[in-house]
Amino acid sequence: MPSESAAATAEDFRPERRLHASSWLFGTASYLKSFLVPLIAAAVIGSSREFALWAPVTVIVPLIAAALWRQWVYRYGFSQHGLVIHEGLFFRNVRTIDYGRIENVDTERGLLHRALGVAEVRVETSTGGSAEARIRVLDLAAVEDMRARIFERDRPAASAHDAAPSADAAEREETLLELPPAELVRFGLIDNRGMLVVAAIMGVLAQSGVFENANEWAAPLLARLPLDAVAAFGVAAQILLALTLAAALIVSTRVLSILLAFAMLFDFRLTRANGDLRTRYGLLTRISMTLRRRRIQAVHQTATLLHRLFRRVSLKVDLAGGLTAENEARQRGAQQHFRDLWLAPLVRPENAEALIRVALPQARVAGLDWQKLAPRARWRIFRVLSLSWLIAASVPAVWWTGWWAAALLPAALPLFWLHASLYVRYTGWALHEGFFALRRGWLTRRLSVTPRNRIQSVHIGSSPFDRRYRMARLDVDIAGVSAVTHRFCVPYLDRRDAERLAAELVASRQTQ
Amino acid sequence: MAAVDTETPTSESPADCDRSVDPRTVAVWRWSTLAAFAPAAAVLTVVAAALSLERLPAAPLVWVVWLLVLTAAAVAAWRYPPARYRHLGYRVDGTGITIRQGVVWRTQSSLPKVRIQHTDVSQGPLQRRYGVATLKLYTAGSRFTRTELPGLEHSEAVALRDRLQRQGHGDAV
Repeated sequence: MPSESAAATAEDFRPERRLHASSWLFGTASYLKSFLVPLIAAAVIGSSREFALWAPVTVIVPLIAAALWRQWVYRYGFSQHGLVIHEGLFFRNVRTIDYGRIENVDTERGLLHRALGVAEVRVETSTGGSAEARIRVLDLAAVEDMRARIFERDRPAASAHDAAPSADAAEREETLLELPPAELVRFGLIDNRGMLVVAAIMGVLAQSGVFENANEWAAPLLARLPLDAVAAFGVAAQILLALTLAAALIVSTRVLSILLAFAMLFDFRLTRANGDLRTRYGLLTRISMTLRRRRIQAVHQTATLLHRLFRRVSLKVDLAGGLTAENEARQRGAQQHFRDLWLAPLVRPENAEALIRVALPQARVAGLDWQKLAPRARWRIFRVLSLSWLIAASVPAVWWTGWWAAALLPAALPLFWLHASLYVRYTGWALHEGFFALRRGWLTRRLSVTPRNRIQSVHIGSSPFDRRYRMARLDVDIAGVSAVTHRFCVPYLDRRDAERLAAELVASRQTQ
Repeated sequence: MAAVDTETPTSESPADCDRSVDPRTVAVWRWSTLAAFAPAAAVLTVVAAALSLERLPAAPLVWVVWLLVLTAAAVAAWRYPPARYRHLGYRVDGTGITIRQGVVWRTQSSLPKVRIQHTDVSQGPLQRRYGVATLKLYTAGSRFTRTELPGLEHSEAVALRDRLQRQGHGDAV
C-alpha cells in the first residue's frame, strides 16, 4: 500500500454518502426522549392554562429544524484508511475511524425503524465506553454495504492468525442457536423479570407519594368492598383467599415475565460468519450485535435452581471495551446502553460446551480438573454463619417470645452446615493449558472461563480472619467484566495454593 | 483510630517480595498522619477552650477527649508507619512486578509487564521534601485498573517505570 499517496488522499477525502431521508424523524425522536419527562410534566402541570398546548410545540419545532439541518450536513464515506464522517451544526467535525480499529457495526431497530426499513448503526472500536459513531439512520442496504466494506478491508490483516475462512465461507452465515417460542416461555419462567417490573412500578408509586395519601383514595374503595362478608367466611376461607391472591400474584408476574422474554429475545439467533459471532434478537426493538472473537474476554455460565429444573443454562460473554464499572460511573450522565451480552440466553447443558468453544476456542468446561478450597473452608463458613445467626437472632427471639425460643435457635445450625458443605463442594477452580475456570455457588451455580492470556492482573487479599485460618482470597482481574456477580474471585483458598496459583497465572503464556 | 491496634505481631516477612522501598517514606507517612489528625485536633482545641472559658461542666470531658485524640494521633503517627513500611515489599522479574502491602488487610498484587497500559510517577509536597515518589501502574482490567507502589526513591521509581514499560508493548487487551 503506497502510504504517502494514501495519506494524501485520506486528507482530501470528501465523504459523499448521506443519511436516509427519514433521519430527521429519528433525530427528533431521540431528542424528544430526553425531553419527554419535562414535556409531560409541563403539559400536566400547566394543563389548566392555554399556554400548556403551546409549550410542547415551541420545543418541538426547533428540534425538528435542528434535526433536519443535521441530516442535511451529515456525510459519511469510506476512504482508503477508514470510515470518515463529516457532521456538525456550527462546529464542523470530521471523524476518521480506521477500518482496523472497528470492532463492531451493530444495529438497533425499533418499530418505527422497521416500518421505514431503516436502522440505527453504532460503530464501535475497542476503546470502550460509548460507541465511536452513532449513525442515525441508514437504510438496510446501506448498512450491509457498510458492514461489507469495513470488514472486507479488515479481513486480510486479521485473518493472518485467525484461521482464514475461504471466500465463499465469508458469505455464508452459520446458525448456531435459535430460540423457538417454547424456549422463550421457559426463559420467561426462569428469568422472572416481571417481578422486577412490579417492584419498579411499586418503587415509582412510592416515590410519587401514592401510598402517603392512600387513605384518601383507598378508604372509600375499602368501604365499598364486602369486608363483612369476608370476615364471615371464617379462618379457613380467609387463608384460602390469601393463598389464592398470592398464587394469582405469582402467576401474573410469571406471565408478565414471559411477555417480557418475548419482547426482549424474540427470534433470538446466534450465528457465525467470518469467525465472528453475531446475535440478533428482539420483538419490538430489533438488536443486532457482533461479538468479535478476539474481543471476548470470558464466558459465564449460570444455572439457577429453575434453570436446572428445566435442564438449561444461560451463557453470557464479557467483551473488552464493554462498559466496565469505572466507565459506567464516569459516563452515567451520558446516554448509555448497556445490555446483557448473551451468547445463549437458554441452552441445554450438553450443548453449552460447544458454544463456549466457539467463543473461546482454547477453553472447555467438561471434565476439568477441579481444585478444592482450603480444607477448613467448610468449618469456617459454618462458624461465621452460626455465630452471626446466634448473635443477631437470640436477642430479638428472647425478647419477643421468651426463653423457650433460645432453645429453638440452634435448629438452624444443620441448615448452615448443609449450606457450607454444598458451597464447598460446588466451588472450585481449574487451571489448564490455555484457560482458567472458576465455579461457585450451589443454589445458583456459576461457571466462568477466561483464556489465560486475557488475565490483566492477579490479587491476593488476606484479612486477619483469613490469616487465622491460613487462607486467602484470590481475585483475577480481566478487562470488561460487567457485573459484580461475574467476578473471578475465589475466597477461602489455602494461602499456599493461592500464592502458587497467582504466580502461575501471571507467569505463563502472557504473550500469545 | 483503628491504627493503634494494628501492631499485629506478625514478623513473617514476605519471602519473595524482598525489595523494600525507601525508609524515608516512613517520615512522609508520619507527617501525613499527623496532618490528617490536625483538623480534628484543632476543632477539639477550640471547643475545649471555649467550654473552659465559659466554665461549663462538659469542659473536662472535652479535654479528656482532646487528650485521647492527641494520644491516638501520636501513637498512630509514630507506630503505624514503620509497620506499614515493614509490610511493604515488591519484586520485579521477567514477567512483571509483584507488590505486597497492608498491615491488617494484606494484599499481594501481581501485574504482568505486558498488561501495563500506562504508568504515573507522582509526588506530593511531603514526598518531594523527602525525595520519594509513588509509582502508579494502570492495566486495562475492570476492578483493579490501578495498582500503587508508594515510598520509592524518586530515581528508583523512574528507573522501575522504565524497566516495566520498556518491553511492555503487548497486545492491547
